[in-house]
Amino acid sequence: MKLQHYIGGLENLGPVNFEKKVFVAKWEKRIFGIHTVMMAESTHLAHALPKYPIAQVPTTFKETWTWASLRTGAEGMQPFEYFKYRYYEKWLMGISQFFVDRGYVAAEELAKLTEHYRANPDAPLPERPNPILKEQVVKYLNRGDSGLRAPVAPVRFAVGDTVYVADPEAADHTRLPGFLRNKKGTVTEVYPGAFEYFVSTGPDGLAGPQHVYCVSFDASDIWGADKCEPHTVIYADLFDVYLKPAH
Amino acid sequence: MTPLFDYDENREAASAAKVRALEALLIKKGVLGSDSVDAVLSHFETVAGPFNGARIVARAWLDSDYKRRLLEDTPKAIAELHFPGMDGAEGEHMKAVANSESVHNLVICTLCSCYPWPVLGLPPYWYKDPVFRARGVREPRAVLREFGVPISAEKEVKIWDSSAQIRWFVIPERPANSEHLNEAQLAALITPEAMMGVALVPAPPAA
Repeated sequence: MKLQHYIGGLENLGPVNFEKKVFVAKWEKRIFGIHTVMMAESTHLAHALPKYPIAQVPTTFKETWTWASLRTGAEGMQPFEYFKYRYYEKWLMGISQFFVDRGYVAAEELAKLTEHYRANPDAPLPERPNPILKEQVVKYLNRGDSGLRAPVAPVRFAVGDTVYVADPEAADHTRLPGFLRNKKGTVTEVYPGAFEYFVSTGPDGLAGPQHVYCVSFDASDIWGADKCEPHTVIYADLFDVYLKPAH
Repeated sequence: MTPLFDYDENREAASAAKVRALEALLIKKGVLGSDSVDAVLSHFETVAGPFNGARIVARAWLDSDYKRRLLEDTPKAIAELHFPGMDGAEGEHMKAVANSESVHNLVICTLCSCYPWPVLGLPPYWYKDPVFRARGVREPRAVLREFGVPISAEKEVKIWDSSAQIRWFVIPERPANSEHLNEAQLAALITPEAMMGVALVPAPPAA
């Protein structure tokens, strides 16, 4: 059991911090931007929906980088570390480590230049615009990267079916919220087509195109009738592999 | 001392310097152009943002036929408005749900921070906070009370936990005494919080 997979339902946490800003420190914008450019120049986009002519984009970045990369990193953190850092702090740690691990940046040069900017916060960035990459970034943001694929297996469930949620091994990465494992729900929608997640999640079960179902859960079936609020229904979009038939 | 207790005395200054150093090195090494990050940020100021969602909701309030189409086939109804980038990143598959006298909808992402970028822009801090993600699915009315939204025990609460392809947003209830307002005036009342289900749209000042 990995704590990051089981955040839904944790108790004794105190009030929610109702901060409406997207970026609570100015620097957070930059790491968000770096991550999004990486997604926009990721090599997998050559085969995505839509397809992008990514090989023609002048960049030295030759990696697959998707939401799955960032999420896998966050889910791989020691859980107490995970809760110690803010959202974009985790991004900064994960992304800079990725560039060091993949050999794009040496840890020492990053540390040295960080010291330089720490002493000179207003020192400028290098000025090297890349108009073709910029165009690709804009295209990616406007056209996206859909997981929609042709189905390769028959639909297993119909609207109204009772289903149980599977309880696969706790892998590096999952799209199954932990609080739903082993719970009983009802299929409310079968989405047309099939959807492929960015990566295979190994023993967790995501691989290739799968049907996705919207499943409703009565809150009392999840938390217990005496431990939840009345008239509350939770809906979750679940990949086929996460569901089992009722009998 | 283990690294667990190794805090920088000024963690914001440290992060600010590190992200600047990272961006500088990535520009130098040809991974980014010096205009790449700004291109992303400018998209969220001009193309993708809650200003789109607010106009879509205002249109739905004024035209019940449009609202029906929006609920039936969200991307198709949004496409009628000809806003750019509406099936772009994190909006490839969106769905709207409507609040009513008997139902209150709340959108959440318990695993990460899935959010409908084209219509709402980027998620606010509270949406990403582990406390909201933990409590929202277990005690939604208690959380909503803290947000200043009292929901009676009789009203059904529907929680939409985003973890596959769909990005959800809420059509809030139209406030009382807003009959005299046009689409732009209505849109000005609608916040990202209302379109995630943690705020109501307040009645406008009397005309």
